Amino acid sequence: MEPNRTALPFREFSHRISLIFMLTLAAALLLLGRAETYVFDQARQVVTDLAAPLLEIASRPVAATRRIIERTDEYAYVFDENERLRAENARLLEWKEEALRLQARLARYEALLNVQVDQSIEYVSGRVVSDSGGPFIDTVLVNVGREQGARSGLAVIDSDGLAGRIVATGPKASRVLLLTDLNSRIPVVIEPAQYKAILAGDNTSWPRLEYLPVQSAVSPGDRVVTSGDGGLIPAGLPVGLVIQTGSGELRVQTFSDRGRLDFVRVLQYEFPSEVKLQDPPSVLEGPAAEPAAPAGDGPRAAAE
Amino acid sequence: MAKLEPYSPTPAARAGRIVMTVTPFVIGIVCVLLSFVPFGRIVGSPLTPAFPLMAIYYWAIVRPEMFPPLAVFAVGVLFDLLSGGEIGLWAFVYTVTYAVVVTQRPVVVNAPFSAFWIGFAVTAAFAGALAWVIVSVIHGLIVPPGPVFWHMAVTVAVFPIFAMLFGRFETRVLSGG
Repeated sequence: MEPNRTALPFREFSHRISLIFMLTLAAALLLLGRAETYVFDQARQVVTDLAAPLLEIASRPVAATRRIIERTDEYAYVFDENERLRAENARLLEWKEEALRLQARLARYEALLNVQVDQSIEYVSGRVVSDSGGPFIDTVLVNVGREQGARSGLAVIDSDGLAGRIVATGPKASRVLLLTDLNSRIPVVIEPAQYKAILAGDNTSWPRLEYLPVQSAVSPGDRVVTSGDGGLIPAGLPVGLVIQTGSGELRVQTFSDRGRLDFVRVLQYEFPSEVKLQDPPSVLEGPAAEPAAPAGDGPRAAAE
Repeated sequence: MAKLEPYSPTPAARAGRIVMTVTPFVIGIVCVLLSFVPFGRIVGSPLTPAFPLMAIYYWAIVRPEMFPPLAVFAVGVLFDLLSGGEIGLWAFVYTVTYAVVVTQRPVVVNAPFSAFWIGFAVTAAFAGALAWVIVSVIHGLIVPPGPVFWHMAVTVAVFPIFAMLFGRFETRVLSGG
């Protein structure tokens, strides 16, 4: 490390002035950023779209390295894994029989009750190309943009379960707000008792359960799925399992691991909002009066 | 009497000057982009080091004239735009940190590497604490300090590698040696 070679007083002075100016500008930006959101959102989208291709190229070697490590791990444990899979396969075959029986029964009931079956949801697959890049936010960029059919609000899932939802889209890339982010709120249902709650991220690895009824009997290990309330995210997507922290607080261990997000699906879910209006008529009318029977006839006829 | 010729730099000198002006920005932008490359996914962890902070500290100590406050601010704004967080957060944190480091420069400028590294640990702690306070104030609640602590811990841990790379770059390219 050599000493500063340009210790000219003028240079020092201009450096100091520039530093003060930049400090003021940064402070102003911090305050303005909260007011002028539209301008900054546009700027953010432009920068994100420009950076997404670069990040995608840079993330390829990372993904390749990860695959090599995973494969090496798999070779090391191939015998144990084989044993485990054999046992699991036997167990799953029993479940398959059970599922087929239930599926047949469900189809029969649905036919009997004339149930409106949920439409299948279309999706676009994409890759996560960036990391969150900061300790206070949990967002990632995916290479699915408006041109591929992404839009704000759509749910994003990976092979394990719900990962988050899209909060901003550009032509080529979108930003996904993960479940663990401080701003994430997802309406969920806790099975099997169907208690409703809000899954609230708080910048830790395990999101909290908010607005859970006081009397609810939720216990660790219960499954958490999306409730579909609000119409943004389809109902029934697997989210995670209830866990209890050391302090007794109930939190959720998400199925989707934000440290291993790679390929994801953007669900193009459209809430069935076009419901026929059933406005009550302005004047309530009773059923049309039947032609009046001659007085006294009715009871006698009934008696006869 | 000798007539003073107006100074006109040779094309090579001009190119050198452009390189000297552009270099800090390029290093800063590369560091910002590196922060978003999901390296943590290799080991299954969402942690990434604060690459821009390393660059800011290194150049603020070694060659502050090469990394002007404007570059620090630009790096911070770019990071904010890419990260999807509060606009101006890291621009402010990095500029304040740079100002503090530049004023404390004589303490570590000719010291051994261990002092340089300890200085970086103190800087990272300061930057992390400042960012944590700002985010907590903005959100009106005490944000869990765990993630920012680990973020800065990882940054301090990998700093020697980057300091070495920056050092190589400085001796090979900027010193012309």
